[in-house]
Amino acid sequence: MSSPRIAYLSDVPTRARLNGVEMVGRLGLGYLGQVFSAAEILTAIMGRYVRTGQDRFVLSPSHYVTAMYAVAVELGQLDRQTLNSYGADGSALETIGSERTPVVDFTCGSLAQGLSVGIGYALANRLAGRGARTVVFGSDGEMEEGQTWEAAMFAAHHGLQHLTLVLDCNDSQVDGPVSFVTTIEPLVDKWRAFGWHAIEVDGHDLGELTDALDQAVDQPKVIVARTTATAGLDALEGVDDAHFIKVDGELGDSLSAELERRL
Amino acid sequence: MLRPAPYETTLKPYGTALVELARQRDDIVCLGGDLTRQTETDLFRDEIPDRFFNAGMAEANLIGMAAGLARSGLKPFVNTFGVFVTRRPYDQVAMSVAYPNLPVRLVGFMPGLSSPGGPSHQAIDDVALMRALPNMTVIDVADAGEVSAVVEQIVDLDGPVYLRLKRGETPVIFDESYTLNLKRATVVKPGGDVVVVASGMMLAPAVKATEVAADAGVDVGLVYAPVIKPLDAATILDAVAGSKGVITAENHSVIGGLGSAVAEAMAEAGLGVKLRRVGVQDVFATAGSRPYLFKEFGLSARALVEAIWELAQAKMPLPVFAEVSEERPGVHEPV
Repeated sequence: MSSPRIAYLSDVPTRARLNGVEMVGRLGLGYLGQVFSAAEILTAIMGRYVRTGQDRFVLSPSHYVTAMYAVAVELGQLDRQTLNSYGADGSALETIGSERTPVVDFTCGSLAQGLSVGIGYALANRLAGRGARTVVFGSDGEMEEGQTWEAAMFAAHHGLQHLTLVLDCNDSQVDGPVSFVTTIEPLVDKWRAFGWHAIEVDGHDLGELTDALDQAVDQPKVIVARTTATAGLDALEGVDDAHFIKVDGELGDSLSAELERRL
Repeated sequence: MLRPAPYETTLKPYGTALVELARQRDDIVCLGGDLTRQTETDLFRDEIPDRFFNAGMAEANLIGMAAGLARSGLKPFVNTFGVFVTRRPYDQVAMSVAYPNLPVRLVGFMPGLSSPGGPSHQAIDDVALMRALPNMTVIDVADAGEVSAVVEQIVDLDGPVYLRLKRGETPVIFDESYTLNLKRATVVKPGGDVVVVASGMMLAPAVKATEVAADAGVDVGLVYAPVIKPLDAATILDAVAGSKGVITAENHSVIGGLGSAVAEAMAEAGLGVKLRRVGVQDVFATAGSRPYLFKEFGLSARALVEAIWELAQAKMPLPVFAEVSEERPGVHEPV
């Protein structure tokens, strides 16, 4: 986090969380836990790793699109006026990503379809002799879908070394903690067994995320980023289900105040 | 326009056409799922291995990869059996291909009851499934010459395409005077007290049924509609208006395919003409040879003639004609 090469990004996650509180607060409820868990991951991917116009970025769980908007506006990839239309009827900024969604390179939403599309991008790059990067943002819940493992096998078999999957492991899905619903662990061992280069990091540490993204490997790479959907915020202490948070005025105010103090 | 039955057959018209086109265009990529020879793409694999990808038995991933390749500017042809490219990865086809309107060409072999393998391998609902998806074009061709032409004609079509193709020997039904036109249905025989509208493998029995009827003195028109969506309703409505009845003939469930599409067009136009849908009557079939299955499940010239007699209110007895009981190599005979 203290590395000077990423110092310019250090405030982005907190500011993105503030955006998230405001956006979701305006609607009264929404995918705020995802903003809290993925703010650093998306900052590392979008702020530094993905080169606009060259690389591809797939947001596989489109329920994270709120988080993506919240980060994009801080990185100058989305204007604030557009952000203010988030979730309004008729707005292109829908609460789950769609074909109208800016910044990301594919529509997902029906979960675990993004990695396969990323493989398609990586194959096309390889065919064209381009060394461009393909980054797929994924989530731990998506590990429950069989398509994930179909894709995992294919990518490793074909040695797609410019393909990177970053997993937000926030242990949160609709019915509660992922670990309560089913057992997906040991994730790192699983991905290694499937032939991937797997790195486990603290998903709230920009420095660790950046180092992991920068590692050059000769296999497809997965970064297992451990996060929490409450991001250590006192205002969310005791909240069991941060998957889909109701934000009334009081909670919004205390979250904002607490986040402001982190800047 | 039509050659006389029994029809000569050709082998690998699709695989040959795809390789020829791909030699001229480096944006064509070929994907499959462990059914390479069966989908005639062993030719592509051997000739252009760099652009051939075998996903293995993993159709969800197969469809998603095709979507990524298509969004990168390539033209993926995805080849497997009809059931495995529609029913199995339906959500992936809907969300990764149809919704983003990507130029992925889904090619499903062994349509309807042409598979001897029973319900797990018989695509009786593929047209219905694909037709329900916005942006999707759905094509069910009959003739080997058309198979060659259709590859060239769909490559630059906007959006996704579902093409169903007979596996193995493909009959040559049309002579050189016929040209496939994806925008127009073909009036094979104009007029008729009753008009048959056929697609895909039901063209051959439909031809036979109209000939048998004509010999018995019943005038039957025939329209061939290989493109189920978008349906050329204008040509079909024009051909059937004023007739006593319409019979659709499809190697597919009577729910959701050609019969449904024609019914919708007729009803919306307020035609008020009776309709009979010859096809799989909302049942799962069994394993068996093509002649057996087509006869047993009513995909036959006999079934068509019976429907013709009913709608034409023909007074003469049902004609007696020979039915095919087994297949011979190099020859395609309608059941």
